[in-house]
Amino acid sequence: MDPITLMLFIIAGGVLVGVCVHFIPASAVGAMSASTGIATGPSMLSFGAGLSGILSASFALETGPVAMLASGAAGSTLMVVLTILGGNLVNAFGTGVPPVSGQTASGQSVLGSSTKDAITGWEQKPFVTPGTDGHGMPVQTAISGAIGGIIGGLGGAMVFFGVHYLFVPITQETAAISGMIAAGIFLINCVLPAYTLVGKTEGMFDRKMLRIPKTFFSCLIVSTFLAVIIYSVSTYASMGAV
Amino acid sequence: MLQILLLGSALAGLLAFLAGIFENEDSDAGSASNPNSQVQLAPQIEHLHRYYNKAIAGEPPQNALWAALAATVAYLLSARLGMDPIPGVILGSVLGALTASLLQGMYGSLAHISRIASMKNFKQMLYWDSLLSPLPLSMTYTFLSALCLTLLSFVIHGLLGSPFPVPLIAMFLGFTLGAIASSTGDVHYGAERLYQHYKFGSGIAISKQGDIDVKGEYGYRNSVDTPYFTLRFGGPVTGLTFGLLIFIDALSRISGGVWTSVILEFSIIALILIFIVFLEKYTRDKYGPFEEGK
Repeated sequence: MDPITLMLFIIAGGVLVGVCVHFIPASAVGAMSASTGIATGPSMLSFGAGLSGILSASFALETGPVAMLASGAAGSTLMVVLTILGGNLVNAFGTGVPPVSGQTASGQSVLGSSTKDAITGWEQKPFVTPGTDGHGMPVQTAISGAIGGIIGGLGGAMVFFGVHYLFVPITQETAAISGMIAAGIFLINCVLPAYTLVGKTEGMFDRKMLRIPKTFFSCLIVSTFLAVIIYSVSTYASMGAV
Repeated sequence: MLQILLLGSALAGLLAFLAGIFENEDSDAGSASNPNSQVQLAPQIEHLHRYYNKAIAGEPPQNALWAALAATVAYLLSARLGMDPIPGVILGSVLGALTASLLQGMYGSLAHISRIASMKNFKQMLYWDSLLSPLPLSMTYTFLSALCLTLLSFVIHGLLGSPFPVPLIAMFLGFTLGAIASSTGDVHYGAERLYQHYKFGSGIAISKQGDIDVKGEYGYRNSVDTPYFTLRFGGPVTGLTFGLLIFIDALSRISGGVWTSVILEFSIIALILIFIVFLEKYTRDKYGPFEEGK
């Protein structure tokens, strides 16, 4: 494939990774059942999901870009959805609270003043523990997480694909090196949205979704920079300069 | 070929399940990850405690470090020892996991001492028993989880045929497991075990945070008691989540076709989402809304 197209793959993948973090509900205070979202930082959770996507995609390395991207998306989504299931199980039977969205309950989500779940239509407000910002992952955030997993997995697999085929002409151990570099680019793009999310998000119904343009541009700039470096290294190496 | 893949999937699922349990208990025995904020907050509101307070890094990178270190040592030893593949891998993995657990013990004790020392202004004492009794326990859990993850990486590389090298797979899996354990099992520690003097059935309000339970069934509570409690529910759920992830991912690839695997995985994702809807309905019906003023 044309090296410029591969470079564009890296850039687009990096931007998708940044966007996916906005969709995956996560909040560190969730560990005390005091906030809606998976109980860990958004960046680290998305990175964990992305790595399982890259690992899945690596099995489909020889089957072409479309199958590889689909495989990566499936791996990431499976990780996010299973984590949501595990988190909800612990909240339901370990802590004894139903999953509920705090921001929707207080009428501050992108749904406006509605205090009902956007998908099931279940009332959220009476189920929030007083003094907390919700707990667990209700259906609307679970669906948002699944969408985030798909976007993140696609992004990770795109970066992996781009790096892999840029490095094929210059090294034997391509899978290992490209896996490592793809993980690095994934991590950088996962951490950038932490500045716009400030530690917590409830997914696509959170008001912080409106800050996506900031994430988009910062990830675009960083991914372009990284893609140009990888492209230059591969080009100069194939010319015998490195 | 089919038999190897089936064996690989079953073995991978089992090892992942065990690794999940042990990793979660390692983090709970050391008050690592997100509930660590509560243990740090406690002395500031005059709750002097005897918890082992190691938080070396965020749980995902920390666990990735142990797994990658153990797998690197195991990979090098298994190649250099000149033994048959299976005994070589097992012996190498044991030595690798031992290295990781020794490093964890060193980092953990230094992290505990420095964290407790920084609480001097709030009259928090550095109790040696609160460090020396949970330290071997926490190191043992690290040993077990690093061993399981290393063996799992060998299974994924050798039996399931991943193109990645073993240490890289271990790093990937360590990171993913850390993210899963910190978001499932830790809730059982942070929201339930640390706050057992509150009534079951509510989240911890922001105003109550730091008011952790410092007294145990007999005397002051220390971190050896924590895995005794969280092993009953938080640990197995973490193991189940990570085990299912690895098992479903491996099993879906048995037919050999990439698209079959993708379709199977997405159908299972749809089933899980449906289960999540029913689980939410069940908890809403069972627990009901909170009453005003309570």
